Amino acid sequence: MRPVGFSTTPNLVLRLPMWRSRLMLFLLFFVFMMLLLRAFWIQGPGNAFYEAKGVRGTQRELELPASRGKILDRNGQVIATSLEAKSVIAYNDTVPDDLATDKVQKLASLLQISEAELRKKLKEERKQVFLKRQVDPAVAQQIKQLEIPGIGLNNEYRRFYPEGEAMAHVVGFTNVNDKGQEGMELSREAELAGHPGQRRVVVDRLGRVVEDVAIEQLPQNGKDLNLSIDSKIQYLAYNAVKDAVEMHHAKAGGAVVLDTQTGEILALANYPSYNPNDRRYLTGEQLRNRVLTDTFEPGSTIKPLTISIALEKGVIKPDTNMVIGASYLVGPKPITDTHPYGNLTVAQVIQKSSNIGTAKIAMNHLSPEEMWDFYTAVGLGQSPKIGFPGAVAGTVHPFKKWMPTDQARIAFGYGISASLFQVARAYTVFARDGELVPLTIERSPEFKPGTRVLSAKTAIEMRNMMEAVTEPGGTAVKAQTEGYRVGGKTGTAHKLVGKGYGNSYRAYFAGIAPISAPRIVVAVMIDEPTGGSHYGGDVAAPVFSTIVGETLRSLNVLPDNKVKQMVLQDQSGPEIHTANVQPQHVALKR
Amino acid sequence: MNRATLTLLALLLICALSLVAAQQRARKLFILQEHAQIEERKLNQEWLRLEYEQRNLSKSARIRDVARNQLHMSPISPERTLYLKEAK
Repeated sequence: MRPVGFSTTPNLVLRLPMWRSRLMLFLLFFVFMMLLLRAFWIQGPGNAFYEAKGVRGTQRELELPASRGKILDRNGQVIATSLEAKSVIAYNDTVPDDLATDKVQKLASLLQISEAELRKKLKEERKQVFLKRQVDPAVAQQIKQLEIPGIGLNNEYRRFYPEGEAMAHVVGFTNVNDKGQEGMELSREAELAGHPGQRRVVVDRLGRVVEDVAIEQLPQNGKDLNLSIDSKIQYLAYNAVKDAVEMHHAKAGGAVVLDTQTGEILALANYPSYNPNDRRYLTGEQLRNRVLTDTFEPGSTIKPLTISIALEKGVIKPDTNMVIGASYLVGPKPITDTHPYGNLTVAQVIQKSSNIGTAKIAMNHLSPEEMWDFYTAVGLGQSPKIGFPGAVAGTVHPFKKWMPTDQARIAFGYGISASLFQVARAYTVFARDGELVPLTIERSPEFKPGTRVLSAKTAIEMRNMMEAVTEPGGTAVKAQTEGYRVGGKTGTAHKLVGKGYGNSYRAYFAGIAPISAPRIVVAVMIDEPTGGSHYGGDVAAPVFSTIVGETLRSLNVLPDNKVKQMVLQDQSGPEIHTANVQPQHVALKR
Repeated sequence: MNRATLTLLALLLICALSLVAAQQRARKLFILQEHAQIEERKLNQEWLRLEYEQRNLSKSARIRDVARNQLHMSPISPERTLYLKEAK
């Protein structure tokens, strides 16, 4: 047998058909082509899909927080500010499904929610879920230390109101999303609100930012708002009203203090009030800003306005004598006074608050049109434009519809309605020698020119008549303020119940101080006083006196009335020298 | 390989290395900036919080309470006040 080499074994000499190797080659080539095509597809036309998928895992939109503007009082004191709080967010596509039970329990206890509730939130379909909002920064830090993947903290703000109840109706409050709901927070929302920006970042597995991709929008902080309110005056006005409401077992009360020179609102107090820092009590009656949103029949506080029209026309003088009598019949029901008077001068009509006297002046000397014109000119029947939400207009019916009985009663404040704020504003006419001052709630401490509606002579005459109201024989002796000459007018109005008058009252006092050079107008309203007297002179006048005294002292207004000095005083006037006080000498302005 | 190729290769290597170095530096600076921004926000917040606290401690209600109850002060009244007039 012929020897055979290993490589030439006949078993290996296989004759295969050529097409088989060709087919193999083709198949290999084809598969590689497919791979190449696929690679080309992924890199080229189909790339967007994969890129988006990649970005979703690593990039995230973050909000750049913008803070809401502060609200400051006239002295720059903070009355509303936003402090940082954290919201806890779960990015549900990153939170692992097999999260350790102890971590879930710990997180739930930090968030003060039940474990089941937390698990339910983590299973939600949405990409990100708020677990809790406005979390205290200290608690947020503890949550961060748990290092749970996909649990993030976002910055947000919580609003704080250091003055609490005293300032509540002026400032208002915001909701959990930092949007104004009441008061200035609502009416100046556009200026106060901040506009958050947005940035795109690359994050790692624990949600830490490792790279900035782009800032898509810059954040814009809200503007600060400077109010004309003086926290100190506001606080004392609030307390004076609160004390009076409690003392007279009244339903509610309100007071407003205006600076007659600048037209600024120095205080606007309401009771009952609420604490804007506590979200649980932000509904109900106590939210009402009664000074601006409640209208009432202004009663006797209208009398100085009515009588001014007649004084201005020159048909009467303060010392004109009038026959008053026990009753005066206009229409079906006679008009009466609380006490019957025989004869009174015009000044005494104001001092004693005689309904009959005022009605007689209106019926004998004034036309409905003249009265309507004047009431409208001093702002009755129009809502005050001071940018407060819900400030009401009150009603002054068109004079063409007035019957004689209407005219007589409107003259002493029945059959028309106004807010306390409107009454106070109308009184600036007497304080400013006949000019009606434009009012503002924003700080603007310069002198404001007014609109002339009365001559200076009439305004000064009326001011003196109003001072007599607070002097012995007047209806509001209790309005007297130590050191200052004050003047004003009481009002006691029967409250309308349904279609008639019930047995409850509103007591008012609106007045001016100091009389020699008026600086402030103060109006006070006490709603439904029940303990004893319900007269404006007994209930509202003492509140006026307290507010005026403390306000003028806080504004450093010199007393214009005689005061019995208890401090020793050198007539020659001692020179006072201190390091930072200019030499001054003592002189009491009398 | 000729000389030009070698020089170009060396240049390419230097560029590549400096790119890595620059990126590293950028990251570091970014982290620093991020920290500084966080610090700035923190300080701003701290300032706001302190301002709020100061306000809380100096609000009218507290001053009145402290003055009357702790310091036993009474409100001023005109009869116990000397009014000074500025010397001309």
